[in-house]
Amino acid sequence: MSEKKETGANRLEAMALTVIFFLCSATLLGLIGTATRTNARGGWWTQPWLMPSLALGVLVLTNAITLWREVADIRKHPPSQDEKQAARSAILSWLLPLEFLTYFGAYVWATQHTGYAVGTLLFVLFLSWRAGLREKRWFLAGLGLVLFMVLVFRVGLGVWMPAPDYYDLFPKEIRTMLMRWF
Amino acid sequence: MEFFLLGLQQLGDLPVVLAMVFGAILGVIVGAIPGAGAAVTISILLPTTFGMEPLTGMTLLLGVYCGSAYGSAIPAIMINTPGSPVAVLTALEAKPFVDRGEARRAMSLAYSASFVGGVTAVLALMLLTLPLANVAKNFGSAEFAMLALAALVLVVVGHTGRRVEATAAMAFGLFLATIGIETAFSTQRYTFGQTSLLGGIPLVPLVIGLFAMSEALVQLTAKTVERPPVQLGGTFFQGFGEVFRYKVTLFGSSIFGIICGIMPGVGEFLAQQVNYVWARKLSPDGANFGKGAPEGIIVSEATNNSVPPAALIPMLALGIPGEELTAMMLAVFLVHNVVPGPDLFINRPEFVAGLYWTLLLMNFVIIGFLLVATGAIARAALMNKRFLGVAILTLSLIGTYASNYRFSDVGIAMVFALLGYVLRSHRWPLTPILLGVVMGPILEGRMRQALGGANGDLTIFVTRPISAVMVLALVALIVFSFRGWLKSLGGKPGWQSNDY
Repeated sequence: MSEKKETGANRLEAMALTVIFFLCSATLLGLIGTATRTNARGGWWTQPWLMPSLALGVLVLTNAITLWREVADIRKHPPSQDEKQAARSAILSWLLPLEFLTYFGAYVWATQHTGYAVGTLLFVLFLSWRAGLREKRWFLAGLGLVLFMVLVFRVGLGVWMPAPDYYDLFPKEIRTMLMRWF
Repeated sequence: MEFFLLGLQQLGDLPVVLAMVFGAILGVIVGAIPGAGAAVTISILLPTTFGMEPLTGMTLLLGVYCGSAYGSAIPAIMINTPGSPVAVLTALEAKPFVDRGEARRAMSLAYSASFVGGVTAVLALMLLTLPLANVAKNFGSAEFAMLALAALVLVVVGHTGRRVEATAAMAFGLFLATIGIETAFSTQRYTFGQTSLLGGIPLVPLVIGLFAMSEALVQLTAKTVERPPVQLGGTFFQGFGEVFRYKVTLFGSSIFGIICGIMPGVGEFLAQQVNYVWARKLSPDGANFGKGAPEGIIVSEATNNSVPPAALIPMLALGIPGEELTAMMLAVFLVHNVVPGPDLFINRPEFVAGLYWTLLLMNFVIIGFLLVATGAIARAALMNKRFLGVAILTLSLIGTYASNYRFSDVGIAMVFALLGYVLRSHRWPLTPILLGVVMGPILEGRMRQALGGANGDLTIFVTRPISAVMVLALVALIVFSFRGWLKSLGGKPGWQSNDY
């Protein structure tokens, strides 16, 4: 998160977010007839559409209020070119977490094929490197973190994780040990 | 008396004691690391407690919850960076102490005020919860529906300056709670044919995505600023006796924190800010507040540590959360199949009494740990933000995948992580979303029961005396808040009650 976001988001970026929220909530409310059912029996208070329509109605209303306030503010104080440029950069920065989430998805997939300990080690070292932590001390800190996690979650708490196929290549005793601890 | 002795028996169980010690220590450490904190840690640890006995699991998570309130004072004093929003006043007040070379004195003032606040609040919890639960035995569906509604309204009202956003977040949570198969006719709502959504949005991936993974993304994309630690000057034990020189401030702040904790929606931050303003006005030394006054630290720490245990009073007795993190604790209770409310005291008295004692002893464990480990914890507070992000994201796997071994859960967590990241960037509150998800089914179920009993007659909520009083109080609260909002239109948003 940039320093700017910590002190106050860009107005145009905030409005873009509100527009997305408003459109999504309005679309969901518009789908109430197809996404829920009306039942002939039972009173109005039992109808399945009642609660979603109340929740989405409030959501649409609050998003509309927020949007109205933001539009009014922008009309009152039109944005400068710098602010427009900053808004474009800020909106593009929404993609940055997607990169890290992609790595996370790959990590989840990899643990099934490498085992928890190996997968976690690869993920921690790669993510540290990608985050700019490339000195030896961060490599050692990563190793320490993985050791801590394996000891706490696999050995200590016994959290089960699926065993990868290559564990079958080991003798039974070693395979059992790998499945239990790694 | 028998009830309390029943609780003491639970302390003979070694796993409960170990969970208490481990949870308390972990809570102090994560509370001291800016960016970690109780919400992130509880959400990651939650799935690992599934295999534990409910009391053991709850003790572990409550240890994190209570310990973090103590730990947040360490970075506030040592590096002038609050570990959480509730340590802002401590940071402000402690800086002159550090500048004078009295960091240890500030630390011990903070610890002892926290201890008194925490213990007083647990004693209030022990004394007040059962009578309140006995009153609630007379409640019907209409009253419980109004209580659920009150919890939602009060949490929104508590977000001063962000009420519209908090309302939107709460409504979004209520909507999320409706996804899946509803109970009245077993029809699908907003599943769009996805079988993975038939059971609704799973709570654990939602919590981990929204609170832990989004925090990891914030840390991974943050600009890191290296801060040098301050030297621990002064005498450590000086402040421990010193707090009792300010008995009125110390116990007044604790009691004020308890009252605010019981009132749903107020929370630590608001309680602390209001109490600080009052204490400054009433204290003979008020002019020195903000310039390194011992009373300033006492007010800040005693208030913020008395709120969490007190917030458990309405949660245990009525099933409604008293402040931000209690909404998460309510989710923890429900995940463990422990339904808070009057019936809990009848069906599982040993669980409630055991919880009381572990909460009380936890304060002693925490203060003992702080006395020996403050220096080491202070170093942890300087942890690199990006490495913290790496650690949180890696730990999130345990919760998202290993709880059900379903990739759809990972996908759900990733969606909420992205949503949480964007909302955090724009200072939209996250806790009302969780509150909506947790309270939604309770509100809908109780509303249906109440209206079903009255054949759809809405006047049921105003013809029953207790419910009528609740409706009147809620209407008055909404009207006053709406007036305040109308006045603030056109003005800049003020401070908010939390970071989540």
